[in-house]
Amino acid sequence: MTEKFDEYVLKNGMVLLGEKMEAVASVAFDFMLPAGAALLPDGCCGAGGVIAEWIFRGAGDRNSRQLGDALDGLGLARSRSVGSSHITVGAALEAGNLAQTLDLYADIILKPSLEDDQFELARQLAIDGVLSLDDEPRHKVMLKLREKFYPSPLGRSSVGDIAELKALTTEKTKQIIKDNFNLSQTIFAVAGKYDFDAVCQQIERLFKTERQENAGQVKIGSKAGKYTHLDNDGAQVHIGLMTGTVKATDEDYYNARVAVSVLSGGMSARLFTKVREERGLCYAIGARYHSLKEAAGIMCYAGTTPDKAQETLDVIIQQFNELGDGISEEEIQRAKVGLQSSLILSSESSSSRAGSIAGDYYMLGRVRSLDEIKEKIEETSVDSVLGFLRSNKFKDFTVVTIGPKQVTVK
Amino acid sequence: MEFKKEKLANGLNVIGEVNKSAKSAAVGFFVKTGSRDETEQVNGVSHFLEHMLFKGTDKLSALQVNEAFDRTGAQFNAGTSEEYTVYYAAVLPEYLLDVTGLWIELMRPALRDDDFNIEKNVIKEEIAMYKDMPSFDVTDQCRSLHFDGHPCGNSVLGSEESIDNLTSEQMRGYFTRRYAPNNMVLACAGNFDWEQICSVAANSCSEWRQQGVERKLEHYDGSKKKKRAEKSNLSREHICLMSSGLSAQDPRRFAASLLGVIVGDDVGSRFFWELVDKALAEAASMQFGPMDGTGAFYSYIRCSAGNVTKVLDTVSGIFQSLSQDGITEDELRKAKNKVLSALVIKNELPMGRLGDLGSNWLYLEKYRTVEDDISAVKAVTVDDVNVLIEQFKPGDFTQLSIGPAENNG
Repeated sequence: MTEKFDEYVLKNGMVLLGEKMEAVASVAFDFMLPAGAALLPDGCCGAGGVIAEWIFRGAGDRNSRQLGDALDGLGLARSRSVGSSHITVGAALEAGNLAQTLDLYADIILKPSLEDDQFELARQLAIDGVLSLDDEPRHKVMLKLREKFYPSPLGRSSVGDIAELKALTTEKTKQIIKDNFNLSQTIFAVAGKYDFDAVCQQIERLFKTERQENAGQVKIGSKAGKYTHLDNDGAQVHIGLMTGTVKATDEDYYNARVAVSVLSGGMSARLFTKVREERGLCYAIGARYHSLKEAAGIMCYAGTTPDKAQETLDVIIQQFNELGDGISEEEIQRAKVGLQSSLILSSESSSSRAGSIAGDYYMLGRVRSLDEIKEKIEETSVDSVLGFLRSNKFKDFTVVTIGPKQVTVK
Repeated sequence: MEFKKEKLANGLNVIGEVNKSAKSAAVGFFVKTGSRDETEQVNGVSHFLEHMLFKGTDKLSALQVNEAFDRTGAQFNAGTSEEYTVYYAAVLPEYLLDVTGLWIELMRPALRDDDFNIEKNVIKEEIAMYKDMPSFDVTDQCRSLHFDGHPCGNSVLGSEESIDNLTSEQMRGYFTRRYAPNNMVLACAGNFDWEQICSVAANSCSEWRQQGVERKLEHYDGSKKKKRAEKSNLSREHICLMSSGLSAQDPRRFAASLLGVIVGDDVGSRFFWELVDKALAEAASMQFGPMDGTGAFYSYIRCSAGNVTKVLDTVSGIFQSLSQDGITEDELRKAKNKVLSALVIKNELPMGRLGDLGSNWLYLEKYRTVEDDISAVKAVTVDDVNVLIEQFKPGDFTQLSIGPAENNG
């Protein structure tokens, strides 16, 4: 399998990436705008969500309703998200509608109307989003976990902070958009059925601007603490746990990915077997690799009824700590096959590919081919994974719980 | 795309849609059994049984089953609804036979007492988990209120009490009655060799014994009851509305789906513009849920306690204007575009295709191509949708809300 990647850089520095997929009739694209939660000025936590909503409430010569109708008329499956580093807006659609859609997205990114009354509504929805988190402890615990694990402001909540949202003004928010919708730092990725020359010409015409200086680097502060508990009179204790590991640029990256897969890749992996199958402590239990450009960790979630919470946490930590003691050849094989197969299965989806190539470019400065990733996974072995685990012992666990009962982190 | 089918002498249907250009293949068993086929005494057994199939056979332990799946790198899972239980996996083509063989073995499980007792804890944890998800909880409770004694209102998970009281004996009895070959479909989609799948099925499933299985089909209009429950740890009001709809067999189901999109899609729908765009509610959606012999429209709305009255007045207004003036050409055109592109994108993946392939066979005993569905969506007219509104009166709903104490709305 050889994929064809396209790459083109506009004069202003904006990067355009593409991956053609022969078997599909759809196309998907993402604009990664450098306005993620960690890049916002202090005191504006949640502004990313307000911005991602506000820019869709009228742009170019269309008001909010006309813009919404135009997007719907093209049958888009829209996506938008606010992460630590970026606000990402994109869509999946039938390939024939791509050019018209990109015209609309250029208006949304470059010429949003940003009217005052629409700001109030966007902010109200953002505040509601924060309040709703109280009713979703499973989601909230993982947001809190990132906040506590990553050094500030990398883990800053992408959902927001009520007091800071209330204090946010239209002027301040407009300033953030001006500073952070920096095309020189923006990545555009498209995957599926498209004509790259046509896309490049259109984007070049629509997004032609002067090169803009970087708004400033993030100043990384300190970590927030080891254990945090939030009281909630719910049915379960929701446990989030995270510990540091190597970043995507590290030479041990694939050893780390295989190690996480041994821990929690499939149903025969360690956590599922020891916590759920042998002890019946949980329904939901799992760990995954999570990475920002600046730092990375292994992130674990478990939900369990209060009386089992302590045992669940203890067994999880024991599984992390025992991983370096020994791993069988079969375990490594299953972990490798699992990683390789999920890579190929997700490569059939245009949205998933657009997200992956944009993410690669941001993290690594280049797009990896599927073959390269498969080979790197294949090169790992029992010895290489154990060697990695032994020289990078898990030590500091950041733990957050939400529920009716606290746990003790030993 | 090429469709294939074969029926074994014991009634097991094997179907497949071959797409040699796909990079993967998907396989699944669709068993026509779910919570609506349960009695009160065994409520939750379909879902519990789904868990127990992974516990192995007389030859395989649970760990061996999990290892065997993971050796193929399969993305696999199972799910139980009111209507059916599905076991599915997506794999690279070279592993399809292995994973199909494994599912076939698991369809004749050991159902050991030891496994049953440990898994009971996991089921109770799952029940607890969903209690902490009010959007799920409110829909589940509203379904029971709406179907009010009709079997479609049975909870899929069951209650802690019904699970505590369930015996492995009862489960074995239920298994024998419901997992009969004539009540199941084995389906494949994507890049695979049809002849091989057929011969595996013929060699391994022919001994399975046919049973007299049936399901009571009865349309139910819904109770139209209204109820509110309080939960002290909640901060928002979670509202579910449910009204009568048509069945999965009804050819008008495409018009009903489009009505759901027009009223309650995430963006661009009537709910969106009247409730979410105006920040009265943070989330508001409506969907059509076709079922065997009956159906329902479901809405979910989340808002502050203070906005409840305004939200419900707005919802009434939306349904009133729908019943007076119907939908517009422009609304229908946009809804069709959204539905059609979602249909195309979903069916590009063998896993996405498998779902439609299997459920069409369960409900219709028919193969439908993606193009059949596309044409059916395109053919819907404004009148078709307006006739449904008149007949099913979506504004005449059952309502359940869950929210914090001291609702000042």
